[in-house]
Amino acid sequence: MQCIFDMDGEHVNNRIKIARVGKSLTQVQLAKKVGVTRQTIGLIEKGQYNPSLQLCISIAKTLEKTLDELFWEDQNDG
Amino acid sequence: MDKSWISFLLPDDEYKEKKMLYFMAESAVLLAVALFIYALITNVELYGSSETGTLAGLSFVFLTGYVLVRYTFSGIEYTDIVGHNSYQKEKKTILFRSLMFLITFLVASIILKGIPADMEELLDLLGPSILAAVFMYFWNYISLKRSYQKNKDLLDD
Repeated sequence: MQCIFDMDGEHVNNRIKIARVGKSLTQVQLAKKVGVTRQTIGLIEKGQYNPSLQLCISIAKTLEKTLDELFWEDQNDG
Repeated sequence: MDKSWISFLLPDDEYKEKKMLYFMAESAVLLAVALFIYALITNVELYGSSETGTLAGLSFVFLTGYVLVRYTFSGIEYTDIVGHNSYQKEKKTILFRSLMFLITFLVASIILKGIPADMEELLDLLGPSILAAVFMYFWNYISLKRSYQKNKDLLDD
């Protein structure tokens, strides 16, 4: 199962990056915490990879955000 | 994620799609093992070489080679190589690994075939060994270069 994720929009991907920077984490640090490679985090932030729900939850927990805050697409975003 | 050319064979439902991909991969691995065993059995010295065995061997090479080529050119092998320094360091590691491979290959050949008696035997030993090591180095170098390029594109702004 994969997250509801707007692959074409920059908004969802930017939110992950903003949340990560807000927590003062580098891509490498976030990758280590959620158990993936840096490349995978980079791909998610660029909207080139659609993560599984499990990975979405892991990222959300690490960044202390809800799935909504990170992955939900608002009408205004689209 | 970018879709592959095989997408047209897969169902739209993502659960079924993933299951189908597993089934296809399992089938490919089983086929590769079967081809390898068949090629070995039909080409052992006892029976001499056989055309079907060679064909099975070539099919095995294609099956494994296709995966290797796609894997190498997709740039997903060296996921953490981003900076120029780590790239250069990894290049040296690849060179070292290739040299170690060359030495191992030479030692193994000498153990199996004995010490070369003349120049021709020496060339027969050195030629394939050096060729294999050079191939190994360049193949890993391509993979590293592709990974480095991909990682740079995904780097923190």
